Amino acid sequence: MTRRKRMLAELDQDIRNHLERETQDNIDRGMSPEDARYAALHKFGNVTRVKEETWKVWNPVWLEQLLQDVRFGIRTLLRSPGLTVAAVMAIALGIGINVGIFSVLNGLAMRLLPVPRAQELVSVNQIFHFQGRGDRLIHNGANWFSYSEYQDYRDHNHVFSGLVAYEPYVEANLRDTDVRQVLGTVTSCNYFDVLIERPAQGRGFVGSDCASHGANAVVVVSDDLWRGKFAADPSLVGKQIVLNQTAYTVIGVARPGFTGTEPIPSAFWAPLTMQQALEPRIDRLSSDNMSWLALLGRTRPGVTMQEVRADLGVIARRIDQQHSGPRRTTSLAIHAATFFTSPEQRSFLIPVASVVLAAFALVLLIACANVANLLLARASVRQREMALRLSMGAGRWRLVRQLLTESLLLSIAGGALGSIIAFWSFIRITQVVTSHLPHDFPPFAVNVAPNLHVLAYALALSLFTGIAFGLVPALRSSRLDLNSAIKGDGTPFGAGKRSGRFLLNTLVGSQVSVCMVLLLAAGLLLRGLYSAQTVDPGFEIKGVATIFLNLEKQGYDPARATHFMRRFRERIQGLPGVVDVAQAECAPLSHDFSGSEFAVSGRADTVGVEYNHITPDYFSLLGIPIVLGRDFSPVETHEAPGIIVTESTARRLWPGQDPLGKALREISGREYSVIGVAKDAQVAHLGKLDTNYLYFPAGTEDDSRSYVLVRYATGFTSLAKSIRDAGRSIDPGVTVDVTRLEDYLEVWRAPSRIVAALSGALGALALLLCSIGVYGMVSYSVSRSVRDIGIRMALGADGAKVMRHVLWQAMRPVLIGATIGVALCAAVSGVLSSMMFGLGTHDPVAFICMPLFLFAVAFVATFIPGRRAMRVDPMIALRCE
Amino acid sequence: MSTREKNERIELLQGTLDLLILRTLQLGPMHGHAISKAIEFRSDDVLQVEQGSLYPALHRLIKRRWISAEDGTSENNRRAKFYALTSKGKQQLAVEAGKWDKLARAIAQILRPGEQEEA
Repeated sequence: MTRRKRMLAELDQDIRNHLERETQDNIDRGMSPEDARYAALHKFGNVTRVKEETWKVWNPVWLEQLLQDVRFGIRTLLRSPGLTVAAVMAIALGIGINVGIFSVLNGLAMRLLPVPRAQELVSVNQIFHFQGRGDRLIHNGANWFSYSEYQDYRDHNHVFSGLVAYEPYVEANLRDTDVRQVLGTVTSCNYFDVLIERPAQGRGFVGSDCASHGANAVVVVSDDLWRGKFAADPSLVGKQIVLNQTAYTVIGVARPGFTGTEPIPSAFWAPLTMQQALEPRIDRLSSDNMSWLALLGRTRPGVTMQEVRADLGVIARRIDQQHSGPRRTTSLAIHAATFFTSPEQRSFLIPVASVVLAAFALVLLIACANVANLLLARASVRQREMALRLSMGAGRWRLVRQLLTESLLLSIAGGALGSIIAFWSFIRITQVVTSHLPHDFPPFAVNVAPNLHVLAYALALSLFTGIAFGLVPALRSSRLDLNSAIKGDGTPFGAGKRSGRFLLNTLVGSQVSVCMVLLLAAGLLLRGLYSAQTVDPGFEIKGVATIFLNLEKQGYDPARATHFMRRFRERIQGLPGVVDVAQAECAPLSHDFSGSEFAVSGRADTVGVEYNHITPDYFSLLGIPIVLGRDFSPVETHEAPGIIVTESTARRLWPGQDPLGKALREISGREYSVIGVAKDAQVAHLGKLDTNYLYFPAGTEDDSRSYVLVRYATGFTSLAKSIRDAGRSIDPGVTVDVTRLEDYLEVWRAPSRIVAALSGALGALALLLCSIGVYGMVSYSVSRSVRDIGIRMALGADGAKVMRHVLWQAMRPVLIGATIGVALCAAVSGVLSSMMFGLGTHDPVAFICMPLFLFAVAFVATFIPGRRAMRVDPMIALRCE
Repeated sequence: MSTREKNERIELLQGTLDLLILRTLQLGPMHGHAISKAIEFRSDDVLQVEQGSLYPALHRLIKRRWISAEDGTSENNRRAKFYALTSKGKQQLAVEAGKWDKLARAIAQILRPGEQEEA
């Protein structure tokens, strides 16, 4: 027993003792027992008040009332378990999915980096503002830094105990039994020290590793790479591995779970000074005008964000002054370091996140409306209770507080349940999503496990929800006409009063309209998915293998690359089952684009045109016909002036004219003339035909990095193996990446498929909640208007007529809500179609089917409780009232 | 109760009851009735505590852990609750008494200027 409880329990006895003693004293002084007792009581004062005062010492009034409210609320909710379960389930669904999606966003954008004392780490980004034309080379991140800028910030700041620079996403070929490409990071040599990240084996970098350019070929490998590629070899540290033709000594294996400081895991870390060895012929270190290094600083203890901004701002201004060329000012964006910190990443994440959160919030809105409906219906049952309490002198505010406590109890229970379901089911959902991603999609190092942010969000959402659905019913049911309510003959609220019915109808109508929006969005996305699956890209996509070769990355000079390419293509040509071989700068739908600005004679402005360098057999291999003019001949190379444009490009650039012989001029002044027109095909962007596109003849310049396309008539697996063998027989160190051309289509379809699946699930959930809402409203109003129905039947209405009446009453708000929903969705579908491939803005099938589907469901939800109305016996109905 | 009596008795200032209880308990553990009697007696009956108001005050002091409550047996062999000063309460008594002295001096100075120097 607590001190408080014990003290209060013994208070009565204490007071009794006191009074007895005082009485006894009085008797001793000669009073009669009655007088003595009276005097004692008089001297003591009001016993009840003393007790109350003493209670108050231990329990502040508000707390006591809150406990009262909670206790009473729990009792009330337990008395109507059906309603409670329904409400809690609805809220759990609504809050659960919102918490789930929030934990993903939290993992992406708000979770600190998974390293010790991560709260001290800040990410530094810079944004240039040029006066007039400015130029800056950008590699990976427009807001990143050059090496000299990094050194400046590192050496002259007063706020960091260490500043790290790194270049992520460095592609490297790991020479091994089966050669494969990995993504790694080159870092400044304080990387592991500043991050306080001790490798599990061996060591991290030390200063001397970065002492001179290209001299220290050492590498730390990730735990994943160590286990996956080196079979967890316990003696790997000290051995050599070959990355992009250079041998590196493994000095450490990173701790499991440390995947670097970017969302896509890094497989290895090499010193910054090895950059040129990893990326041959690109010297980033000495380029002072290139953004390629991401910066992470660890602040000294006690240094605030403002101090960091001020201190680095001084350095930024000095660099601006020293900068030669057009005048510029640099502003710094400094944030706590997370996986998504840079302004670029945020500008992508924020709109996507807001669309997703809005869609999920809509479901919660439906759930709220639903529960508000339930509570309103119940409020009419509790009318007498409320009236009684009001007439006994309870303040209205006190009643509202009591009712709000009840709704908060519901919402917190629902929120807790929903959050638990969300956390528990999340692993499964992530699995479903990742299983729909293309197989070579990079894994994300995102931790979606709940943390304080997520819990706070769940709690805030629960409280908000509780007030959102509880306030209106609470305000309504505490405002009563005492007289009629207490007599019990007042028309039940909601059934009779126009305003009450209006409120119910509004709630149902808004549920239906929100549900309509979600269903239509889901419908549009599903239609988009369907058209993505069945689209005709305009070329023969089946039976083509593509081989991507980046020989430059693998240490080839142009001459060797051309030599390799020629022999490689000869070998493939000779393989059994190979029908045709072509070479191109970009394979169709490979997400590999090139484009440039061209001047067209007779037009003042330049036009943007995407292009591809191809060998002559490209068109025949892909089955794209030349509709006008001729194909390239094998002797044409980069020097040839002839180009081939697509039909639609020709139409746009030279409407109504013969495109053959027309000229296009590059910015450099070089002029090309059209020698042929190819049929339109969606080779660059699936679902888009309105981009200008032209073909250049390929030359030996393309051999360093290009795709080889192979049309085959045998099985793919055996062909892929013999192609890889062919490559290896020429050079065992070369990476030959063979895929089916069809697989590229998958990459285009994957986003639509994931989004369609998610939105379909959301739509289904919305529909479920909404039909429960309609069902609840109808069954409530039927049970409330039994007398009304009885009178109608007594006056000669038959069951069918009553049914029509009930249906009309219920379907009216549904119709109005659905109309509003359709209008809303028509307004926002433009946003959706811009985000997703193959989506018609006003797809008629979606806009007709989804409303019909919703009406059918609403009809069923009305019909079931409506049947009860048909079976009302007028005699019983009238008598029982 | 006669008029004369009423005039001579003084209503307690807010918070002074706490101080009086602490001071009284310095004499040793007592039960509630004894505390009120002691206050009346030691002030020559000038300070009349409304006995009931003792109890909220006692509980307030217990909550602050300045006094403790123990079950015990009273002089006439009856079970009663005995209140006793804790060490924290002793410190607090010194603090409160000091404050009170200051206050009393300050008020006296305002009411009877000049007398203070003589005293």
